Order: sequence, then C-alpha cells, then structure tokens
Amino acid sequence: MSKKFSVLLGVVLILSFVLAACQPAPAAEPVSVEEPVAESPTEVVVEEPTTEPTTVPAEETVEEELPVLVIWSDEARAPVLEKLGAAFAEEYGVTIQVQQMGFGDVRDQLKVAGPAGEGPDILVGAHDWLGELTINGLLSPVDLEDKADLFLPAAVDAFMYDGVLYGLPYVTENVAFLRNPELVPDAPQTWSEVAQIAADLEASGVVKQGYIRQDGDPYHFYPILTAFDGYIFNVNENGYDPTDVGIDSEGGLAAGKWLEDMVTNGHVVAAVDYEIMHTMFEQGEAAMMITGPWALDRIRQSGIPYAISEIPSETGVGRPFLGVQGFMISAFSENKLLAQTFLNEYVATEETMLEIFAADPRASAFIPVRDAIEDEDIAAFGKAGEVGMAMPAIPEMSAVWTAFGDAINIVMQGQQPGQEAFENAAAQIRSAIEGN
Amino acid sequence: MFKQNAFSNSPLLKKRLLLWLRFVIILIAVLFALFPVIWIISAAFNASGTLATQKLIPNQISLANFQKMVNDPLHPFIRWTWNSIKVSIITSVLSVAITTFSAYAFSRFRFRLRRSLLMSILLVQVFPPVLAMIAVFLLVQQIGMYLPGFGLNTHGGLILIYLGGQMGINVWLMKGFFDSIPRDIDESAMVDGATYWESFWYLIFPLVRPMLVVVGILVFVGTFGDFVLARVILQDTQKFTLMVGLYMFISDRFSQNWGVFAAGSLLGSLPIVVLYLSLQDQIVSGLTKGAVKG
Amino acid sequence: MKYQQSTGELVSPVFRNLRSYLGTLVGLSLLDGFALWFIYNLLADGVWFLGIAVFLVTLGINIIFLRKDLYPLRWISPGLALILLLAFYPILFSVYSAFTNYSDGHLLTKEQSINRITQDYYLPEDTETFSWELYRSENGNFALLLTGENGDRYWAKPDQPLEALPGQESPETYDGFVRVSRAESIKYLTEIESIAFGVGEEGVRVKSLSSAAQLQKRFVYNADIDAIIDQKQEIVYYADGDLGSFLSVTGTELFPGYQVAVGLDNFTRLIKSPALSGPFLQVFLWTIVFAFISVVSTFMLGLFLALVLDSPGIPLPKVIRSLLILPYAVPGVILILIWRGLLNPHLGVVNLTLMQWFGWAPAWFSDPFWTKMGILLVNLYLGYPYMMLICSGALKAIPQDVYEAAEVDGANIFQKFFNITLPYLLISVGPLLVSSFSFNFNNFNVIYLFNEGGPPIPNTPTPAGHSDILISYTYRLAFAGERGADYGYAAAIAFVIFIILSLITLFNFRFTRMWEEVSENV
Repeated sequence: MSKKFSVLLGVVLILSFVLAACQPAPAAEPVSVEEPVAESPTEVVVEEPTTEPTTVPAEETVEEELPVLVIWSDEARAPVLEKLGAAFAEEYGVTIQVQQMGFGDVRDQLKVAGPAGEGPDILVGAHDWLGELTINGLLSPVDLEDKADLFLPAAVDAFMYDGVLYGLPYVTENVAFLRNPELVPDAPQTWSEVAQIAADLEASGVVKQGYIRQDGDPYHFYPILTAFDGYIFNVNENGYDPTDVGIDSEGGLAAGKWLEDMVTNGHVVAAVDYEIMHTMFEQGEAAMMITGPWALDRIRQSGIPYAISEIPSETGVGRPFLGVQGFMISAFSENKLLAQTFLNEYVATEETMLEIFAADPRASAFIPVRDAIEDEDIAAFGKAGEVGMAMPAIPEMSAVWTAFGDAINIVMQGQQPGQEAFENAAAQIRSAIEGN
Repeated sequence: MFKQNAFSNSPLLKKRLLLWLRFVIILIAVLFALFPVIWIISAAFNASGTLATQKLIPNQISLANFQKMVNDPLHPFIRWTWNSIKVSIITSVLSVAITTFSAYAFSRFRFRLRRSLLMSILLVQVFPPVLAMIAVFLLVQQIGMYLPGFGLNTHGGLILIYLGGQMGINVWLMKGFFDSIPRDIDESAMVDGATYWESFWYLIFPLVRPMLVVVGILVFVGTFGDFVLARVILQDTQKFTLMVGLYMFISDRFSQNWGVFAAGSLLGSLPIVVLYLSLQDQIVSGLTKGAVKG
Repeated sequence: MKYQQSTGELVSPVFRNLRSYLGTLVGLSLLDGFALWFIYNLLADGVWFLGIAVFLVTLGINIIFLRKDLYPLRWISPGLALILLLAFYPILFSVYSAFTNYSDGHLLTKEQSINRITQDYYLPEDTETFSWELYRSENGNFALLLTGENGDRYWAKPDQPLEALPGQESPETYDGFVRVSRAESIKYLTEIESIAFGVGEEGVRVKSLSSAAQLQKRFVYNADIDAIIDQKQEIVYYADGDLGSFLSVTGTELFPGYQVAVGLDNFTRLIKSPALSGPFLQVFLWTIVFAFISVVSTFMLGLFLALVLDSPGIPLPKVIRSLLILPYAVPGVILILIWRGLLNPHLGVVNLTLMQWFGWAPAWFSDPFWTKMGILLVNLYLGYPYMMLICSGALKAIPQDVYEAAEVDGANIFQKFFNITLPYLLISVGPLLVSSFSFNFNNFNVIYLFNEGGPPIPNTPTPAGHSDILISYTYRLAFAGERGADYGYAAAIAFVIFIILSLITLFNFRFTRMWEEVSENV
C-alpha cells in the first residue's frame, strides 16, 4: 500500500522538478528587443567625432559578458524605448531590456525589487515620487552635462531634491480649464463667473450640469484652492513646508465655501468620476470642466467642440499642479555610467523626444521639441501651466491625498459645510504628519 | 434529484406550475448574470468605446479591438493567454493531487495534532494576503538565487506560490467532501483486508471524483484570475499572465484602452467557460448512478 | 473505531514492507541530498531565515517517513511542506516586520544603507576635469589617456601614478594597450565605472562619456566609531540603533536610514493612535456585517440555483450553468467597474431606468446605506457562482438512500431539505463558509474599487469611510502618514486583524466540529 503511495508521491515530486526544468533560467531567455529593429533610426549618432572604424583586436575571441540595461517603463513610453534600445544594441552591443508595467507600479515595485537586486537600471516616472524614492536611497543622481540648457528650467527644478538632480525630464503636464464654446463663448475669468454661467445654463435646460468636476481628487481641486488664495503646503526658501498646512487658511476656507455653495445650488453634483465627467462633457451634457492633456484624444474623438483656457482666478491666481515625468537611474544599478550615457546620448535628442511626444502628446520638457510642436491644444495647456506649481515631492504629501480628498467629497455630498470639512481635513493632515 | 419523486403524487397542474416557476427563476438568474457582461461584449465590439457609460448597441460594430489585441507586438495577448492556461493547469493538477492526499488523511485518520493542524491550516488563510506580498516577493527572489526555475520572473516560482497559498482552503473543502462519504464504505473494505491505499484508490477516489473536478476548477479559476501575486513575481512582458497584462492596460487611468481591455477580458473568460462546459458532466452526473451502497 | 488502531496491526507480507521501506529510504535520501545542497547554499549566503525554515521542513519530513506511528502524516506531508514554506513562512516574515521600523526611509539593511550613502562622489573644488580615451590590453585591463583643460596629457592606469605624455596624437597602441574607439568604449563603461585610474587622491574616475575627474567619495563609513563622515562638509553622522538612521550631533538625519527592531513601538503607536478611539468600532462592525451578509447571501443564492438546476425539465442545462458561472469567469476588476458604471446616478442604466419608472433611485455612491447595499449586491454577483459550483458538487455527494428512506417515511420537500440536504451539505461546505467569511473580511478589492471606502465619515480624527472595512482602513492608516508607507505599522495592524479574525474563525470552527461529529454518526 504505502509503496503505491510513495510512487504517487514521487510522481508529484518529479512532476514539479520537470516543471522546474521547463523553466529556462532568466539569463537564458532571449530578450524581446529584436522585434522592432527594422525602423531603428540610423542617423542617431554619438556626438563625439572620434567614431573611427572600430578597431577590434583580433585576440578578442573570448566572449565578454556584455552589460544589459534594464528599463522599467509605462505603456506609452515602452515602444519608443524598445526601438531606441534596438538601435543602441546594434551600435554598441549593449542589450536594452524594456520591462513594461503600470505607471504607478514602477514606484511601488522599485521599493521592494531595488534593494533585493532585482530592480531596473533606468526607470520612467513622475517627479513627485522623488521624496519617497530618495529617502529610501533608491535613486542615483543624474548629470545632464552640457545638455542641461536644452531642458525647461522648471522641469529640471522639479527633478531636484535637496539640491541634487535625479531625473532627465521629458514631459510636463498640467490641467487647464475646458469649456464647450458653443455653450460658453467666452472663457470665464473668475470662479464666481463659472457659478453664474452654470446657473444660467442649467436654468435654460441646455445642459444637465454647467460645470462638472470629479469626486474628491485634490489634484483637480488645487487650481480652485489657489484661485481663492488657499494652499496645501506653504512655500519657503527650502521649497514646500510640511509644517504649514493651508487647507483651512482663509483662502482655503473660501474655496470650501465656494464649493459648498455650488453644491447647495445644484451646480456641482457628487458621484462623478473621471469617466462620467468626460462622458458628460463629450455628450454635451456638461459645459465646463478641469482636465489635463491626457484626455485630449478622447475629447477630439468625440467631436464635441472644446476650447482650452487658463484656470479662472478669484482672490488669487488659479494655479494648476505642474507634473513632470522623467527618466531616473536606480541607485542599485550596476551600470550607472552606461545608463547615464544612454540617457544623455540617446534619449536627450530631438528625434527621441519627438517620438515620445508622438506616442503620448503632452508638452515636452525638451525645449527644441517643445518649441517645434505646433499643436495648439498642447500649447494652450502649456499656457495654463505657466503659473503652475510643481506638485510637492515631499513624502508628507501622501497624508494629503486621502484626508483632503475625503473633505472635498464630504462637501460635494452635502454632508457638511465647506468650513467644517476643510478644517477637519487640515487637522487630520497635521496629526498624520506629526506621526500619529 | 429528490424533487423528481417529490411530486409524483401531486396533480399534473401543480407540477407544470412548478416547472414554469423554475423557468422564470432561471431566466431571472441568467439575466442577472448576463447583465453586466453584455456591456463588456458591447464595449469589446465598439471601436471607440468607453466602458459602462456607452450605449448598449454600439453605433458601429467592429472587430477593431480584437484585431488590435491579436496584432499588438507589445501586448502579446495570445501568449499571455497561453501562459495563463499553462500556469493554471499545472497548478490545478498539482494542487488537486496534493490536496486530495492531505484531505483524505484528515478525514479518515485520527492522530495527535490532527485538529491543531487543521486549525492552523485554516488560520494561515486568515492573514491579510495583501500585506504578505513583500515577504512573498523576497521569498521567491531568494529561492530563485539557487533554483533559477523557481525564482522571480518565472512561471515555476509563480506556481509554487499559488500551490502554497491555495492549499489550505482546498484541504478543508476536500476534507468536507470526504467527510460526507459514509465511513462504512471503507471500513467494510478494511475488514475485508484492503489497505488504506487500496480503499482510497479503489473506493473513495471514484466517489470524490466530482469534487476533485470542482476543486480543480476552483484552483484553475483562482489562478487564472489572479493578478496580485503574478504582478509582483512576473516582470517580463513575454512571461505575463493574461490578468497581469490586462491589469497593465487599465492601471494608468488616463490611458484606458477600454475596448481592448473588454476584448481581452472576453478572451480570458473563454477558457474558464469552456473548461466548465466540458467538465460539467463530471460534476453533475458523477454520483447519481448510486454507487454508494454500504 | 478501527482507524484509531496503529498501522502495525494491518500487517502486510514482510517482503512488501521491506520493499516499500527501501523505497522510502531512497526517496528520502534524494530529498535530503537536495535539501542539504539548498540549505548549505542558503546559509553560506547568510539567508538564515529561509535556511532554517527549509531545514525544519526537511527534518519534519524525515521524521514523518521514518516513524511508523506518524503514518497519517505521510499523506499530509507534501501539502504541509508547501503550506509551511510558501504560506506560513511569508506570514512569519510579515509578523516579524511588525516589530521593526520597516517603512519609507527605512527599507534597507544597515549594510545596504551604508553602501548607498557612501556611493556618491563629489568633485572637490580646484580639481581638474579631463576628457578621456579608453585603452584596453589583451588580458582585459584598462588604461585612460587623459587630456586636461589646458591640453596636458596623461597616461593613467589603476594603482600607478599618472604619467605625463608628450605630443598631440593619440597612439593606436601604447604600453601594450590598444586604443578603444569612443563608440566601442560604451560597452566597457560598466567595467571602468568602479576603477580609479591613478593612486589614492589623484585617482581619476570616469564621470561621463566625455569627462573624467579626480572624484572623491562624499561620505565614508568608519566602522570603529560606527559613523559616516561627510568629507565635503566635515560632519560626522553617528549610527542611531534605535531610530535606524545616521544622525549628526545637531540631529540632521542622513538618508536612507535602515531597518532596526523597534520592539512593540508599532503596537503602542496603534493603541495611542486617534484612529482607535475614532471610527474604529464603526469600521469593525461594518466589516463583520459585510463579511457575514456576503457569505450568507452568496451561499443562499448559490445553493438555490444549484438546487433549481439540479432538477429535470430544464432546457439546455449545460448552457445555462455555463452562463450562470460567467460572473466567476470574467475578471472581477472589470465587473466591479462595469457595475459602478451601471449604478451611476448620472449616466448609469440602472439608475436612469429607476428614475424614469419611479422618480427615485438610490444614491449608490454618496449615501452610506446605499453604498453598503451596492457593495453587497456586487459582492453577491461576484460570489454566488463559487457557491453554486461547490454546492452542485457537494449535493452529489449526499447518499441517495437517505432520501429514499425519508420518502418512505413520507417526508415532504421542505422536511427533506432541512433535515437531509442542508445538514449533509454543511458537512462539506461548512468549513468553506468559515473561510469565505475570512476572505470577505479581508476583501480589499471590492471595497476599494466600488467606492474607495466612501462616502467619507465627517469629523473623524483620521480619514475613514462608511464602507471602509478593517483592511482598507489599515491602508489609509499605514500608507498615508508622515513619510509615506509604513510597512512595519501596517504589519502590526495586520497582526491585530489576524488575531481578531483568528478568534472569530476559531469561534466559527466550533460549528465545523459539530458538523464533523454529525458526519461521524452517519
């Protein structure tokens, strides 16, 4: 009896070993770089003129182990990088392996994979990760060298943390005010005007909502907050100051009051997410909203007339958050110099930056490309972003998203007046920052 | 099955009425089940689709999303589906085999530590899985340093973790099935001189086959649908399972490819539906032949 | 009971025993050989935890297979080994981190932290920057030809003083080294990255493709005083073993810090936290209600459908069953998102239709009660096929003769259901309900995807939502703090949840014992 049993057990064990054998070791697996070789731009060259016919010594028969650059990228950038990688590989014999993952996953996984030695050499990400990533020692400084002047100063600044540059920026983005010009011919200058127009439109019944905004979401509320002279963190000479929370400042509360009034009068409704907001705008059921360049594609496809303008102001200036995305180098990379070279020689070029733009049109952080792009909409977003403020990269910001988002929701759902909700949110944030 | 005889004495009318009632119930249930799925189908065939807020009948029906899905070199859906099927099948077969042995022992033997072992197995399941993720990552990474076939970015490592993670609850499920089989069956066999193995293999095993299929399907679906673990362990696009690939599609909410995502979800649900369709007889008609007679 | 007798009494022929014994020995020695190799490697690399875990599991398997009285455990050992190594070990590891400061800013080990901090170089003032050309010898050694800002040229090799070079041309070969073209040198960058060309202070390091300089280490670790010294600003940062950071005398902290054990700190922080005095009780109650109703509703619907489908006269039973299982086959994420859309008050079909018919529709996303109803509805939708599957399997395991006997006694359909079907079913499905409860207790996905725990509760000391369950509440607490994610704290809360849930499970467990006893009386 137990013989058969051991046999079966053995089979199970053997099966699992066969299974092990089926799995090739990671190193043996060919990397998927070969595919797009065909279109690789051949004119990309290394700037240095010393490129002489490669004098490979004849003795070099011993195969060297060539380095592999691993890049973690989001979906939009991955194809561009794969193409570049293929060209780089062909020219220099250095393999580039692009691993595609969700934009936010890059950050989350780096925190575990990096220290374990399984991380990338280069990662694609947003500047507001810097605080989190640098206090964890996950990033290595980046040196733009003589190319620094080619980048938008604001974008470069955004990638500075404690006076050190940690990224090569490629795109800047910010929200702007969108309206349907058939319903709202002139861009409103103040948020009171927005309320008035919304009231008129809704009264006349041409739209369901004059102005629509998505639930919670401090990111999209920030322009309104600043328009009323409110702030999240005050700015001092060292940048954002986490000890000075301004959601319950006079301006902050004024913004809360404005929102509250909008809700009471039915001009702002709850239970709206990104999808609903855009669908209603695109179907002509809403006339005004705040959104970013990422939505341009779908708005254009819908065929609805739209116009992009700056954020309305009120007592202050409506400032959108400025987000910058860029390439960073992992501190756990063993190929930092190579990664740096790849970025400076191959990514920081007009060709590449143009391709990045083509793959996902947003205002480029690379000045020659930014200037060359004739897309009026992107330019309009860029204009709205001129008064923008870099999204805080300090880690304390993580306490803001939930607390402030909840407060906005509480007001939007009519549970509490703006003042109480915003005051409580500020208290929650202060308490969280103090470490409770 | 018992209803078969329950109304044999009742008037024909009542029987008809009940049958109709049953139809109505089933109809409602099917509608409930299909309701959201119809939207997915619609989104999949809609060339310029958003998700739930679209019109039910797309303005123009197109296969564009499916073509995009099949032809996209960066998102090898077919490959992902194949990876998923491979991982899920291996996991379910191994899992069912190992689970069955454990469950049989728990059901039929009485030994020291039995209850504590059973309880511990259940309690292991109780720990919030999301929070053990970092530890799982490090574990797989460490294993992979010595057994490259079971490390990060391998299907072997993924299968290992699935096996460990799903074992507990399935042991319990299977044990429950074993418990519901009267003990007289194997007891009488033992009296006749059969060994444990023989009574397990020749008597009990055929009886629990429907349940093995059920557990197999459960493991298959659980594995197939997982993206939390797979996302942590797999890094290479070519190695992704379908759910990881799909997840990547919607993880960035500003670039949602709803149409392709919907098409991919439909593609992904196919293997499960087909599996269930083909194994249904095993579940439903497994025991009705009345093999159980002490 | 016969089964409680030891196996020794079920005597088999001696030779058969011997053969199986030998087989066991061979199998064990193979396993042990493999395990030894594995453990040896693990320990050699300092992976202690895992090494010990593997050792214990192997030892256990050996004992089980060598001792006759542990025979039943042989059947269980493969499963047990898997659970121990792949499920239990990660849990232990997580629980361990509840006693550490593992969090943003303290992700690394002390060694990694030192490595990272001492990794950066700086360019001291008044030092020269060179452009460089790479030379490589046959046996793979490197040298640099450096050109200074004023045109001076040097020949630089590791551990040898710089040697001034006359002339303007770069020779093809020199000193046994062959010149490497600029393009070609790219692939050697990684190799030369760590090399200092020259001796000590004057060692030149390659800074980029175009320049090299006498870079100096910014930070240096001194093991004697366990401190890191900032060479540039001449500040000493001492290791603080309680905080897991390098601190200067003035209290400036050097990033990244490292992991240290902090004892019960995370737990005392939880106890003192306003989160506990605040909405905790409300969240806790809803968690239990949510998990309980989810289990009961999915079980009832699943069982009901399994029973209805079990009867004859249903057309196309296979197709209908497959349709009913669809919610299980389609990824849950997309289904939840679809439901969100369907229930939306502005554009969702369900709400627009209700509005049209009755002039009223539930506020699924802004009203606390209706959010909870919505979540329960969606969870019912997602969960019933699982129960249906299990019930239809389990129903088949109920012996027919019991029904026959009941019929002889004249039992009606309800009596049969409550006296036979349900008790029998609970024997096999009961434990599953218990674990389904614990699954839902931790069902982060459905809560988060449906309404992110909202609508928020006003006036709470820490953010919390009406539909938050403990695990989503934990997320808010542990990942939105002073410095981002605090895994140690999260693990501490998880540990507390684990204890609570274990107690509930053990309580429920008493019913399974009851069921089991029922089964033994069959």
